[in-house]
Amino acid sequence: MRRWGRRDKIAIYALMALVMIFFLGPIFWFILLAFRHPSEAYTLPPQLFFEPYLGNFGDTFVDPGNNAPQLLSSVIVSSGATLLSLPFALAAAYALSRFAVRGKEFIMNWYISLLIAPPIVFVIPYFILMSRIGWAGTYQAMIVTLQTLAIPFSVWLLKSFMDEVPLDLEEAAWVDGAGRFAAFIRIIIPLALPGIIVTSMFTFVFSWNNVIFPLALSKQSTTTLPVGTISFFASTGVYWGHIAATAVVAMLPPMIIFLLLGRYVVRGLTFGAVKG
Amino acid sequence: MGLAYRYTFQRRLPYLLLAPSVIVLLALISYPLAFALRNSFWFWNLQMGPAPLYYSGLDNYRMVFQVTPFAVALKNTLLLGFLGTFAQFWFGMGIALLLHTHLRGMGLMRAALIMPTTLAPVVAGFLFRYLLEPKGGLLPWLLAGIGFPVPPQGFLGNANTALFSIGLVDTWQWTPFFAIVLYAGLLSINEEIKEAAQVDGATQWRMFWSITLPLLRPIAAFLVMIRFMQLFNSFDLVFVLTSGGPGTASRTLSFNLYREGLVNYNIGTTAAMTWIVVIIVSVIINLYLFFIYRKREW
Repeated sequence: MRRWGRRDKIAIYALMALVMIFFLGPIFWFILLAFRHPSEAYTLPPQLFFEPYLGNFGDTFVDPGNNAPQLLSSVIVSSGATLLSLPFALAAAYALSRFAVRGKEFIMNWYISLLIAPPIVFVIPYFILMSRIGWAGTYQAMIVTLQTLAIPFSVWLLKSFMDEVPLDLEEAAWVDGAGRFAAFIRIIIPLALPGIIVTSMFTFVFSWNNVIFPLALSKQSTTTLPVGTISFFASTGVYWGHIAATAVVAMLPPMIIFLLLGRYVVRGLTFGAVKG
Repeated sequence: MGLAYRYTFQRRLPYLLLAPSVIVLLALISYPLAFALRNSFWFWNLQMGPAPLYYSGLDNYRMVFQVTPFAVALKNTLLLGFLGTFAQFWFGMGIALLLHTHLRGMGLMRAALIMPTTLAPVVAGFLFRYLLEPKGGLLPWLLAGIGFPVPPQGFLGNANTALFSIGLVDTWQWTPFFAIVLYAGLLSINEEIKEAAQVDGATQWRMFWSITLPLLRPIAAFLVMIRFMQLFNSFDLVFVLTSGGPGTASRTLSFNLYREGLVNYNIGTTAAMTWIVVIIVSVIINLYLFFIYRKREW
């Protein structure tokens, strides 16, 4: 390991301080906005210390609280999409991790090309389809269509975790007379459980942060919280206090989940390709 | 259960396991693609009726270029993709090298640094829309304070700076992603190789270009592909920050599709544009997989 001189250290810390201010400053400033009285949103020079005002949260989540149902919608859509993707992804990941599948590389590339294709291309036909089958504005419309992202992502990430479960353990179970399925349930699932939980957390966050699908497929009573923030850009004016309050609530679950994920963040963000 | 049966079952099992996800995904993507292909040859505005009105041949494909600003959107999208990926990669690499000094506190800073990436892109958009407000925004106020020329309509309202501002917000959000993943890559490089090079008299600069960078290549190739495509698909940020404006100055392909499909309700033209975009995206992804990414093992 290299040893750094005193002057090097000062330079490195100074650069790092600039980096942290640049990346965390805007978030900090926006959180403050949520606690400012609407009349002070544009006060310049900026006030770092002020009387905190909770009315923005009150207006949006308590009384009249128009955004409270959106919080519930976000939870329903994100959990629904995550739970629905799991059985499909578990089976596919197990197959790709444990068997010599013909065209494995092609299949993996196919999954990832879905993941990086422009979602808007799919969303507009879904918008028509959903009104034809009577699913317009329903939760299931969003949950099912989000699978175009949730399944490919989960397959990739779960496969990377299953690759790490030693084959010996599974083979030992077969020798003891357990079938493939029994071994899968008794060996793979428990040993890959941290991976399954990590994958679910990521799928939840990605679904939570998704806007294109609910924007096109929800109605007012089923729309999610990130979409709810957009509605404040009314023709009557921009309600920054309300936007900030709802946005702060919308950003909390992903932030908390990422903090909990700790060392798995790198792996999840790269779909399992970089172990981290 | 007979042995022969077990053998065939074992051989087919992986395909049986893959089938559900492949079938669901095929169904989910083939409907939109077939829908778009069929309707790209029909005139259909949703405000005029719930079904296609008449067969119009290749009119929709002509409309994509004549009525919607497709060429501008394509140019903006590619510009955003290339410049954004380039900036994020090198900025992220710089931060990864700073983190890799392993000075005290770097672990904590690395953990905090990821916060922008956790935000929904819409939320990131709001953060900067507020910061960039022409009257009362913090950034124009600070920049004007140090004598930087701030356009009177604000950075988002000016045709020369709107697209650049979107790229900057995306760079703010995703540079930490590059930094943290490239840092993980740096950790995986065997220090002995570098020590050997140092003994042979290699400079820090030379070691970075000849050892570190080539060893990071597989990770870098993967990151660049993902990020380029996510930038190529930019919609959320455009929607919140500029709505593609002023005029068409910051319109991207995804936003162009949204405008034509879900605002103007020209389903026929949108369908034609969908296929043009699908072909462009397939070409990009396949070129990438073929030239840069093919040596990877799963």
